[in-house]
Amino acid sequence: MRVAFVTPRYGREVVGGAESAARQLAEHLVASTGWCTEVFTSTALDHLTWRNELEPGDQTMNGVLVHRFSPEAERSSKFYELDGRIRLAPGHATREQAEDWIDMNGPVTPRLVEALCASSADVAAFYPYLYYPTVRAIGRVPMPAVLHPAAHDEPALYLPVFADTFASADALVFHTMAERRLVQRHYPVAGFPQLLLGLGTELPPARRRPGREVLGSGDRPYVASVGRVDEHKGSKMLAAYFAEYKARRPGPLALALVGPVAYRPPRHPDVVLTGMVSDEDKYDVLRDALALVSPSALESFSLAVTEAWTLELPVVVNARCGPTREHCERSGGGMWFGSYREFETVLDRLVADVALRRDLGARGRRYVERHYRWPVLIERYARFLEEVSARGKLSAEAVAASVRGSEPANGPVRAVAASPGLNRRGQSPPRRG
Amino acid sequence: MIASGSDPLPASDDYLRQVMAEIDEEVRRRRGEIPLQLERELDELFLEHAPVSARAGDLKDALALVDRAAFIDPVVPVTSERPAGTAIKKGLRSLSLWYMGWVTHQVSQFGAAASRALHAVDAQLEDLQARVPPASPTFVLDPETGDAWWSVRAVDALLGARGRVLHVACGDGWLVRRLSAAGVDAYGVDPRPDMAVDAELEGADLRQEEPLEHLRAVGRASLGGLVVSGIVEAMEPARRDELVRRAADRLGARGVLVVHSLSPEAWFANDAPVEADLSTGRPLRPRTWAHLLATWAVEVSEGPGGADYAVVARRAPT
Repeated sequence: MRVAFVTPRYGREVVGGAESAARQLAEHLVASTGWCTEVFTSTALDHLTWRNELEPGDQTMNGVLVHRFSPEAERSSKFYELDGRIRLAPGHATREQAEDWIDMNGPVTPRLVEALCASSADVAAFYPYLYYPTVRAIGRVPMPAVLHPAAHDEPALYLPVFADTFASADALVFHTMAERRLVQRHYPVAGFPQLLLGLGTELPPARRRPGREVLGSGDRPYVASVGRVDEHKGSKMLAAYFAEYKARRPGPLALALVGPVAYRPPRHPDVVLTGMVSDEDKYDVLRDALALVSPSALESFSLAVTEAWTLELPVVVNARCGPTREHCERSGGGMWFGSYREFETVLDRLVADVALRRDLGARGRRYVERHYRWPVLIERYARFLEEVSARGKLSAEAVAASVRGSEPANGPVRAVAASPGLNRRGQSPPRRG
Repeated sequence: MIASGSDPLPASDDYLRQVMAEIDEEVRRRRGEIPLQLERELDELFLEHAPVSARAGDLKDALALVDRAAFIDPVVPVTSERPAGTAIKKGLRSLSLWYMGWVTHQVSQFGAAASRALHAVDAQLEDLQARVPPASPTFVLDPETGDAWWSVRAVDALLGARGRVLHVACGDGWLVRRLSAAGVDAYGVDPRPDMAVDAELEGADLRQEEPLEHLRAVGRASLGGLVVSGIVEAMEPARRDELVRRAADRLGARGVLVVHSLSPEAWFANDAPVEADLSTGRPLRPRTWAHLLATWAVEVSEGPGGADYAVVARRAPT
């Protein structure tokens, strides 16, 4: 098998997000199967600018052959003007506006698209749905296309241009059931071959030092939040909630915000910002925490949650985040909050109840062992890719029918009557796309 | 408070449901402990980056948003970065407050009235749902053989299907596996939690989804075949109506629909599944299916003892 991944950025420097997931999947696929795995990507590392930072051309990274192509231009400020205009009502954007949005969103890499179309790969895996390489290539590639949408409930998902993107996939891979529900609510892809995969979770490194030493917070108990400290990731809300919590519950409890800082919350004696830390330090902090708090409503999987469960740490998640709440509901390993009062109540209970913390953590760990260890995950993914490759491209006829919403081949059925004599023709008029 | 720390661990869903019910109870008990304005500000902070539709069909969340937005505050903030800004804004606010207050009072009244109406609709929907609980699928397999008498007919009818074949209420995927072994590209959905998880982990395309929700998200005329078993007996009429319409709409040319149902006689017998008493639906007679699928070529096979039957309906080629 020869597998081609398509992702806008690629490299160890790209932390978190769909692109990082694509890299881990590609590297584990090579390591486990020995398949020829290549990546078509840009030379950019920053998704806000698409600035050329790496050399174009080919290089091998951890067994993966990486083809890099320079974006034709950096992202212009016009993108933000257009984005601001259409994000208020993205479903009402015109096709032309949506096409412009795709080009301005970038990275504009037509040579990547040409090279991918000329590739001899058996399957192309696109990750995520949102960017130029996926949108412009997925309908053109000669090999079966697997789309990993990594979709959030974000305005872009509603842009009319993505109907073709989803319809052009020959198979879909989702992180969670919540993501699948979200995509299927907007695009008629339920009948496509699908795999609910998620992301692999590494075994934690051995303990190096106490988490309190990493934080420099003395012997205080603490809860931790791991990931980019960012307003959009709920960090502002979490910092404000924790400050209010401490005003109402004075005591030693602290909050550790662990990760690169894009938003700096107001200074507070009980809030520790670590900035970017090594994986070892991150796990050391988690090991000694009372719980992990994931305040973000916009996660499509959340490795932080599964990593915490690896250490049998209970988690507290945002009730409005479908994927993390789904993790908690399926595993029984965490609780959620949808208001300050709920946050306070959940935290009170967790801090006071050691046995509950232990039970939740154990359930979370069992869930991760069953679903999200790399060997299990890669075996399922490899089998799925083989099936997709064997099945080949979905017929153009079926795709066209699905996209256009064409009239079914035969006449309508009768509706079930409420009472005899009230039968009526039951089919709604055909939609014209 | 529930006992925790027990071993072995109780089932995840029951355990967590109980813990979260206790949390909800405590949250209700704490109502009024936090000053109203402060709580509102904190809740607005929560909603700042929360997608409205993150939880599909969560009417309670949507209503909470309406409630929070229903009151329009006429007292606009006056802080300013410029030295005289605050004083100027304060002056403008004082001058315009009589007017703004009059307008916003009416808008707030409208918002409150709309919110009340939505809450009334919500209450009625909850009442309806309580009266008509969704029926869970009935088991269709013979417990002794682990098979169903009609499965051979279903597989025969679906060989050579022009497109994927969907088994609705697929259970653990028994028929999907049989169809796949016969070379049919089949997949299944089942609404019961964890029913399909093991099979899915082993690589089958089985999903935990509500059948109608799934069918709504399937492309038109994109399926080669559809098998429905264990759910039509207890379905309330409106949902069964939708199921039949969606099935016809989602099947392509030469599509095949296979429906398995208990017979009305079996439904009212003493050994009928409990759904017979608990649901508002009842099984149709085979001739009713033939009537509903009037433009299709319909074959009906009765099961041993007349307790159930299978309908195989083929869409005529165009």
